[in-house]
Amino acid sequence: MVMTLELARKAIRIALEHTRKTGNICSIAVTDRNGVLVALHRMDGALIPTADIARDKAWTAAVFQCPSSEISRYGDPAAPNSGFNTSNWNDRITSIPGGLPIKDDSGVIGGIGVSGGTPEEDMAVCEATIWALQLESDNKA
Amino acid sequence: MKQVTLEMAEKALAASARWASDIAGFACSIAVVNEAGAVIAVHRMDGAAALTVDIAIEKAWSTASFNLSTALLARMVDYRKVGKQLGDHGLGLLGKSKGRFTPVAGGVPITNENAEVIGAIGASGVPPDMGDISDTSVSQIGVSALYDFYD
Repeated sequence: MVMTLELARKAIRIALEHTRKTGNICSIAVTDRNGVLVALHRMDGALIPTADIARDKAWTAAVFQCPSSEISRYGDPAAPNSGFNTSNWNDRITSIPGGLPIKDDSGVIGGIGVSGGTPEEDMAVCEATIWALQLESDNKA
Repeated sequence: MKQVTLEMAEKALAASARWASDIAGFACSIAVVNEAGAVIAVHRMDGAAALTVDIAIEKAWSTASFNLSTALLARMVDYRKVGKQLGDHGLGLLGKSKGRFTPVAGGVPITNENAEVIGAIGASGVPPDMGDISDTSVSQIGVSALYDFYD
């Protein structure tokens, strides 16, 4: 499966619903597996920088194929690829929690990034969205 | 209407994307920004090139921050329009604002009832010189789709 605009919009719709339930105001970004932005929504009243930070989180999660919070593990000098966390070669890498890779049976197909609440809240929205997407694809199969 | 909301942005994006796929036949990226040029919503249609996302955002940003469609901004940097008087041209705009200034047709302002600019739509993905089908027309469809929100 590949990331499509339809799937990205579905993910954003689920994430927006979940965010509204918690009363937060935030930005949500979805990228394809190459980290290229597919859809980005900034809720009315969300801080302006949250749009770019959400995009950064989604990019980081998609290309490193791990939660954006785990980028800090590259700070360990003994870790493979140590130093990735500070290279910042395209001004996009971020270790702020709130970005998760979107996966299916074939592997990573994209990334989702949420910015606007506390790190825990952003993470919870990402997780809830991915759960909902997975449930839907399971029901289809 | 006072400002562009996410609801309006989604409606404009849906209309533009529909027109781009069904009538123009090109996969585009489309972006909606507020009066300050801050992104409200972006969609990249399936198959649109990766760079079109940033170009669409920056066309919309250029339009919102100049209160002019980028088709008119392009005239400012057209060297054939250089005036007789020394310095009577806008070529110095090229590369402004850390390279975000994008004088390429495709950005269209969203105006309120008093014709004040409250946002902009930018589109990218249609090649130039296609006649009536252009990035500008894709954006224009998005603006037209907002008629419901006017008083």
